[in-house]
Amino acid sequence: MAKKTGFSSVTRRRFLKETGLAAAAAGAAPLLTAPFVSKALAADKSLSIVQWAHFVPEYDTWFDKFAKDWGEKNKISVTVDHIPVQNIPARAAAEASAGSGHDLFGFNGAGGAHLYRKFFLNVADLVNETEKKYGKVTTIGKQLGYNADDGSWSAFPDFYINFPGMYRKSEWGEIGMLPDTWDNLRIGGAKLKAKGHPVGISLGHSNDPSTTWRGLLWSYGGAVQDEAGKKIVLNSKETVEATKYAAALYKEAMTSDVLSWNDSSNNQYLVSGVASYIINPISAYRTFQKSNKAGADDTFVIAPPKGPAKQIMGAASEFYGIWKFAKNKEAAKEFLRYYAANWPEAFKASEGYNNPCFAGLVPKPMPILANDPTSTPHDKFAILQDSDKWSAIPGYPGPATPAMDEVYYAFIINDMMAKAATGQLSAEESVKWATQQCETIMKKWAGKA
Amino acid sequence: MVAIADSVPKAHSRFHFILDRRDVLGSLMVAPAILYVLLLVGVPFLMAVYYSMSAYTIYNPSWSFVGLSNFVDVVENPAFRQTLYNTFIFTFGSQILGLVLGKFGALLLLRPFPGRKFVRAIIILPWAVPIALATVAWQWMFDSLYSVINWTLIALGFITRANAPNWLGNPDLAMLSIIVVNAWRFFPFAIVIFLAGITAVPQDVIDAATVDGAGFWRKNYQIIVPMILPIVAIGLVFGIVFTFTDLSIVFLMTNGGPVGATSVLGFAGFQTGITSGDVSHGAAISLFMLPVLLVVVIFMLRFIRRREI
Repeated sequence: MAKKTGFSSVTRRRFLKETGLAAAAAGAAPLLTAPFVSKALAADKSLSIVQWAHFVPEYDTWFDKFAKDWGEKNKISVTVDHIPVQNIPARAAAEASAGSGHDLFGFNGAGGAHLYRKFFLNVADLVNETEKKYGKVTTIGKQLGYNADDGSWSAFPDFYINFPGMYRKSEWGEIGMLPDTWDNLRIGGAKLKAKGHPVGISLGHSNDPSTTWRGLLWSYGGAVQDEAGKKIVLNSKETVEATKYAAALYKEAMTSDVLSWNDSSNNQYLVSGVASYIINPISAYRTFQKSNKAGADDTFVIAPPKGPAKQIMGAASEFYGIWKFAKNKEAAKEFLRYYAANWPEAFKASEGYNNPCFAGLVPKPMPILANDPTSTPHDKFAILQDSDKWSAIPGYPGPATPAMDEVYYAFIINDMMAKAATGQLSAEESVKWATQQCETIMKKWAGKA
Repeated sequence: MVAIADSVPKAHSRFHFILDRRDVLGSLMVAPAILYVLLLVGVPFLMAVYYSMSAYTIYNPSWSFVGLSNFVDVVENPAFRQTLYNTFIFTFGSQILGLVLGKFGALLLLRPFPGRKFVRAIIILPWAVPIALATVAWQWMFDSLYSVINWTLIALGFITRANAPNWLGNPDLAMLSIIVVNAWRFFPFAIVIFLAGITAVPQDVIDAATVDGAGFWRKNYQIIVPMILPIVAIGLVFGIVFTFTDLSIVFLMTNGGPVGATSVLGFAGFQTGITSGDVSHGAAISLFMLPVLLVVVIFMLRFIRRREI
């Protein structure tokens, strides 16, 4: 008689019991070893930093060396991880949920400090100390990290990235105009489009159009929310006018290419020699310099176009948050103190791309911006020294809140302009659609943040 | 000598003895797989279900129960309804295209020709290439300024620069583009499925059909396809589930644009739940896939079982 094997007598109950025990044993292993592992880590004096991979690679090289040198001086082992900018929100969510990760988190975006407020250390003392030494924190800096309800600071403002206009001087000179107002941009842009050189402002789903179209909205006197950040005020005569303008600009001075663009497309448009005007950080100009010096020399930087209400443009921003669960909070604060003290070096390393959030952090004349030896003329970027006067981040004129971030990441303002531009909806209908979307988001976050 | 040697008892450890039992060893071998499914699929799934019925946000990680109100919020939003519609078009469009390409590819690869083995090996590349790399390549092919597709069409005289299609800027063409990329990814898998199915059809059945005068189309669509339908259906279940839950192509190529025309559930759930920090609504958007996928999978599996009977 054949011997009965164990497999033939496996019942569902027995299977669950035995695999359950095996699963429990395997699952318990990390729990048993965890105390020993965490003791070993605690004994190690270290500081870990994560931040985006900068658009200017030389900045990352400078920062890594700067952080390492500081660590060596203070006998602290410093690690810096650079991750793609689009991975920042997912990384922050993962670290906050796990209650573990880097000590210092470099966050690229507007509302992150408010979204993660319960997870970030209050750095009011550090901000106050920096203000005393280097001048008052700017409006953008305050929007980024300050909590008006209790006076706390969830983040240490690092820098903002301005979005000036860039135009081909020879082409605009031929038509005897300057793209200094939104109206001039439309009229001159139409003339240059006829000559094969359209205006290039994206109407797609990415950061650049989210930033640029907010600038247009604000310069017409419209806004997504009120100053207190409590109410959606998008549905206004001013917003409808701004949307009508965007539709006219698209039809008269741009091509349908802009509907598909990502953040690098307008840079390529400029470098290809097609664009007569774009709105972008100076990285587009730097790329042009490397590929075509003559074309770059003909490209000039100008403040964003003036609107009927004001001259203002959206900006991108970066801040540092110290997690409450960070292993080395004091080292993180000490590093930020040292970083602020050496901020002009950071500014130079970024080639004038990172702009300060404290009034006197980089005294004027600012290096590179006041005199850039690689550009002709050397003072091409001089107007950018005052870009804090015309730069604002999402949420303006109110605070940068999680609700305003969701409006930003859902590309609602971009789509409001695009729907009107492509004739999907009239300007009025498009503004109503966007208002409904924004109100849904605002209602959802009410009481939660 | 042999008898003496056999009579000496071996020094077995208790552990060794336990591992000799097939039932214990079997349980130990299957435990990692079960642990993997429980920890990395089961637990996150249950958490997602609870998140979707809670007020959980990153700002306020509150587990307070809110019932189905998140689902109601999501359904009431017209942008979500557009996303749901897009997801169906994207999923079924790319599966149909992938299956058609797979069927023709398999028929071609069944015929003997020089280098067939090499072609069979290389055809798997779209499936094996990391999706990030492949999507970036496709993005350039559909680029508004540097599209090689448009360049070729212009060079052949079919279109001019002025009326060149704006692949990722026109809502319909953008949807078509992501369908094409996903079908391109899926069709090697479909080829493998069809090849496995067709080679399993008994030759005498095909010979009998040939003797009876059946031509190419009759043999294919009245004999071979009905016989391999169960295996094709299994492949289709995989394809539908993976496509319905996919966000990579949209995330890398269009970001849901233009004007929300390519936003799909996976992408919208990620944007709301992770990027914007509204975990509860993000989970509700993502879990919308569950009943749809459940119905599709149950229907397909029942169909397969009936065919087998």
